[in-house]
Amino acid sequence: MNAPRTINEYLDQLRAALRGADPALVQDALYDAEEHLRAELAEQPSRGEADMLAHVVGSYGAPDEVAELYRDQEIRIQRALRPPSPPKRRSLAGRFFGVAADPRTYGALFYMVLALATGIFYFTWAVTGVSLSAGLSILIVGLPFIVLFFGSVRVLSLVEGRIVEAMLGARMPRRPPYPTRDLTLMKRIGSMFTDARTWTTLLYMLLMLPLGIVYFTIAVTLVSVSVAFIGAPVAWMVNGGDLSRLFVDHRVIVHWGFGEHVPGWGEVIGLCVLGVLLLFATLHLARGLGRMHGQVARHLLVRG
Amino acid sequence: MDERVSQLKKFQKELSAGTVSLVLLAVLGQSRQPLYGYQIAKRLEELGEGVLAGKQSALYPVLRNLEAAGLLASEVEPSVSGPPRRYYRITPPGREVLREWVAAWNATRESVDKVLQGEV
Repeated sequence: MNAPRTINEYLDQLRAALRGADPALVQDALYDAEEHLRAELAEQPSRGEADMLAHVVGSYGAPDEVAELYRDQEIRIQRALRPPSPPKRRSLAGRFFGVAADPRTYGALFYMVLALATGIFYFTWAVTGVSLSAGLSILIVGLPFIVLFFGSVRVLSLVEGRIVEAMLGARMPRRPPYPTRDLTLMKRIGSMFTDARTWTTLLYMLLMLPLGIVYFTIAVTLVSVSVAFIGAPVAWMVNGGDLSRLFVDHRVIVHWGFGEHVPGWGEVIGLCVLGVLLLFATLHLARGLGRMHGQVARHLLVRG
Repeated sequence: MDERVSQLKKFQKELSAGTVSLVLLAVLGQSRQPLYGYQIAKRLEELGEGVLAGKQSALYPVLRNLEAAGLLASEVEPSVSGPPRRYYRITPPGREVLREWVAAWNATRESVDKVLQGEV
């Protein structure tokens, strides 16, 4: 590898050295390097870029050394921050009920409930911003407004990244993407619009409304149905074997395929068992959806 | 010869992995104003090679982790030279932790010194 002569060359080499690493990690590493190198250059502007870089390779580290360092760090952090993965269970029952011991499950379930609120917010923000940007673009104030709006989209993408990482466990960037070229202000603004990531982030924000509604509905419906089923024996006991008083139309009936009838003691126990199974199935579903959503977020919010 | 150089490199890397958090926390604990990554790197550079094993890139991920753990707080300020800079300062829990770490470091250093001086 040739010694880099400009900051952009250095960053390109660093990007190349990090090939295959997590895109979120690459984004963070490039941002850190850019911040450091630009500060170094600003400190002694008379020295020249090539000279400064020759020195920096010794102090900050050559691109491949830096890449190795970030990879190492990442492994150590992952070990330290990840909640311990629950012991692997072999038996079918162990695997089915073991989901309750996995912290990710509850993170995902909570995310599903929260997604309705964040989804509405993102959708409103994106739609309002895009329409106002389009409407104001014929006025002088249009350009600053558009730039502000797109800036806010980037910030929201970082915020959503933090939420996704905390609750779903997918590695997300901690630093915003930074255009790595020396550009004038106007060109930098232009690059905001040509950057595919800006548009995928907007797409994600639009997508979060339907996804949020679906996640919220699934989580709330399934959990409340299971809890109601599990509580059936309690309700039956409290009401002295008569469930009808709990309902408005005074008709509680079950239908197992052999005709409708008022439930008895055994059937209430059956409902309870069914509720427990449904609750654990719900937890599996939540964990699975959480994993899937983490992937969606990584594809739309992190520049590959 | 190469073998010995790489052994030394590895040893320095392991040493630095253990001490870099302590040093960063101490630098920010002693500083009156918030510092950004580059400034911290330069302060450490004045002390000579030791802590970061010569590689200043190592401190950025550590700063981020200390912040995630609540030991540091940070704010971003725009800069003319490049990306906005993140200024770090120590938090009250950070100071508590620093005090404990300094005690642990002193204990370790004393016992290692004793071993090296053949007092065992």
